[in-house]
Amino acid sequence: MELTPTITLPARCDRAAAEALLPELIAALGSGALAIDARACTQIGQAMLQILVAARRTGEGAVIQASAHLRDTARRLGLDDELFDDAPLGGLAGERA
Amino acid sequence: MNADEIQAIFFAECEESLDAAEQGLAACRAGTHDADTINAVFRGVHSIKGGAGAFGFVALQAFTHTFETLLSDVRDGTVAITTPLVNLLLRALDTLSDHVAAARGLGETPDDAALQAELTAAMAANAGSAPAPAPEPAPAAAPLVADDDDEADPMSDGDFAAMLDDLTGAFDSPAEPAPAAGRIVKVRPHAGAMRNGSEPLLMLREMLDLGATCVECDVGAIPSLDTIDPGTGYFGWTFRLPADVSDQAVADIFDFVGDDCSLAFGDGAAMPAVRQPEAPVRLVQAPAPAAAGTPAPSAEHTAPGAAMPVAAAAPPAPPAMGQSIRIELGKLDKLIDAVGELVIAQAMMAQRLAGDGLAVTEELTMLEGLTRDIQESAMAIRAQPIGSVFSRVPRILRELTASTGKHVRLNVSGESTELDKTVIERLGEPLTHLIRNAVDHGIEAPEARLAAGKPAEGTLTLSAEHRSGRILIRIADDGRGIDRDRVLAKAIEKGLVAPDAQLSREEIDQLIFAPGFSTAATITNVSGRGVGMDVVRQNVKDLGGRITIESEPGKGTTFTLTLPLTLAISDGMVVNVGDQTLVVPLANVVESLRPDPSEVKGLGANRAMINVRGRFIPVLPLHVAVGALGAVERPEQGVLIVVETEGAGRAALLVDAICDQRQVVIKSLDTHYRSVEGVAGATILGDGRVALIVDVDGLVAHSLADIGLCEAA
Repeated sequence: MELTPTITLPARCDRAAAEALLPELIAALGSGALAIDARACTQIGQAMLQILVAARRTGEGAVIQASAHLRDTARRLGLDDELFDDAPLGGLAGERA
Repeated sequence: MNADEIQAIFFAECEESLDAAEQGLAACRAGTHDADTINAVFRGVHSIKGGAGAFGFVALQAFTHTFETLLSDVRDGTVAITTPLVNLLLRALDTLSDHVAAARGLGETPDDAALQAELTAAMAANAGSAPAPAPEPAPAAAPLVADDDDEADPMSDGDFAAMLDDLTGAFDSPAEPAPAAGRIVKVRPHAGAMRNGSEPLLMLREMLDLGATCVECDVGAIPSLDTIDPGTGYFGWTFRLPADVSDQAVADIFDFVGDDCSLAFGDGAAMPAVRQPEAPVRLVQAPAPAAAGTPAPSAEHTAPGAAMPVAAAAPPAPPAMGQSIRIELGKLDKLIDAVGELVIAQAMMAQRLAGDGLAVTEELTMLEGLTRDIQESAMAIRAQPIGSVFSRVPRILRELTASTGKHVRLNVSGESTELDKTVIERLGEPLTHLIRNAVDHGIEAPEARLAAGKPAEGTLTLSAEHRSGRILIRIADDGRGIDRDRVLAKAIEKGLVAPDAQLSREEIDQLIFAPGFSTAATITNVSGRGVGMDVVRQNVKDLGGRITIESEPGKGTTFTLTLPLTLAISDGMVVNVGDQTLVVPLANVVESLRPDPSEVKGLGANRAMINVRGRFIPVLPLHVAVGALGAVERPEQGVLIVVETEGAGRAALLVDAICDQRQVVIKSLDTHYRSVEGVAGATILGDGRVALIVDVDGLVAHSLADIGLCEAA
């Protein structure tokens, strides 16, 4: 799988960040799975989470490298499976938390 | 509208909420325990909590949460309303007010641990049991220590960073004992919930705090990356609620975003639909998450306010606030300034027309009437009920009760009396001091009161009323009254009066306003706040007002503040004195007369009294006071204006002639030149000249002292 240039998310992934990065993500579509580096992310809001889900579901998908914070937020809000390939088995992550 | 502005609105609303809660609790204390009263208190605290959550004021939110939980028990009737409980709630309200101030950056965050424990102990769940620590470690301090790699970010007001920082912590906290059975709630935040710095995830956090667990997140509505709109809410969450969490508790969390977040309760409820922001405002119907035929048993409902079909996807309309709008003060001041100029321009035109022999025309009269209407309306915009100042008094009294042990009952009347915002703002300090003074020095200790045959509880009466273009504020206590012997002794000791001086009762009373006669050193040992009564008098004088005292030993003392309704425009009598034109404020004028020579009694070279219907009044030649040249010197040749003053009784000002009576726009001398004794300010006349406005009180008191006359009353 050919990887496009990595798109790096800032620490603060609020709605403004989502709006700012969306064009970049769209521009990177069409050449394989998106590579998103979210290792610096310490805060995330709904807008960015939605974009990450959209990225996963568009074209060839996306590979997201997540920070502990992002992983955790996703798990608590039932989005683990949706965002990460290596999600723990079983869908209802939230209930198990 | 940026985040700061929204926050400013939040704080303004906090003030209103605090006021409402204060009033409600005051009513409770007075014995009104009905549902409306309790609800008003609950709503006040609740709306602060909602905003605190959205802006990420963690400490404020944690405290309001505990407070609100107890209030909710009270509302539900599971906790009985008793005097100790009301007192506890009042203390909680004071702390809440401190929390709000801290969130504003106006003070330290109060240490509320003990109070929170008390509130918690009072809750229905803990009734009878030992005081427990806060029930659910509300997001107090814990979330601040984020559990990931992030540096512990101190809360910077309303900062998104700080808000989201604690998300992780919150998600971590309670979820462990997920109750197997529980009701389902479906949550779909819409665009509005993500706008203006609002963040749905913060509300979800609150739900997780309540013990809810996420069952699933519906991402089916998410479009492809190239068509996604970052501002639309696509996620729909399904949460399972613990059995002990009511639907209302969940709805309350989302109350703050109202219609912008759809909720559906019950297992069978369908997930509310995604709302596209493009949806035309008018067409949005009640955001029925209308779904596949299941009329949900417990019915989906959106958060309160949803019944109104308006403003669903509309631009974030502020929540309906009755028939009022908020206006930036600067804009109002501009309007007032412009109205002031209009009044001057109108006067100039009238003068010009009069010069052309067109003094009385219908059009001019109409214009004059309109100008006055506009001016009154403009002033009315700035006018605020004095209740906003009075509402702070209960707290002051509570603090005084705590420090002095004197219980004081408060009677308030006339709180809807309106006066200019500037006056209101500057009234707080003198009023606070007078109230402290009344409780510290006036009202006796309970034992002394009982011994004197009075009820143990003191009474403080605050009243406000309009009287002839001014406002009268009275602060009356039923205490011991001014101990004139001690005041006089103290004044003699301080060298303020000669040891052999013969002073009238009123003069002795006035001594407490003397600079250097500081309260800290007198009568009792309380006070010591660094503000003396002389500052109070100065404050009131700066507002163009007067302060008077009536005191009856053993019965109590009444301070009366007489204040102008506005500081900007007043009615004045324009007079000529030699080569000068002066304005005498109409508020002081009693009458004007041309004396008959037989009515004037000369007393030596330059002193005279006039007999006005059997009452002798000193004549004060205004030209002497202002140093005008070529003025009329004999009373029978000029006009006498009889004025009423606060401190020196009546006096008759001798002027050459009265030219006009009109509204004058007051321009401060202090800001343009410096304060001048006997002059209240200046104004611009119709012909463009500047005229001084006479400070009648100051001038009369000063001049009479000089020539050694006073009213022979």
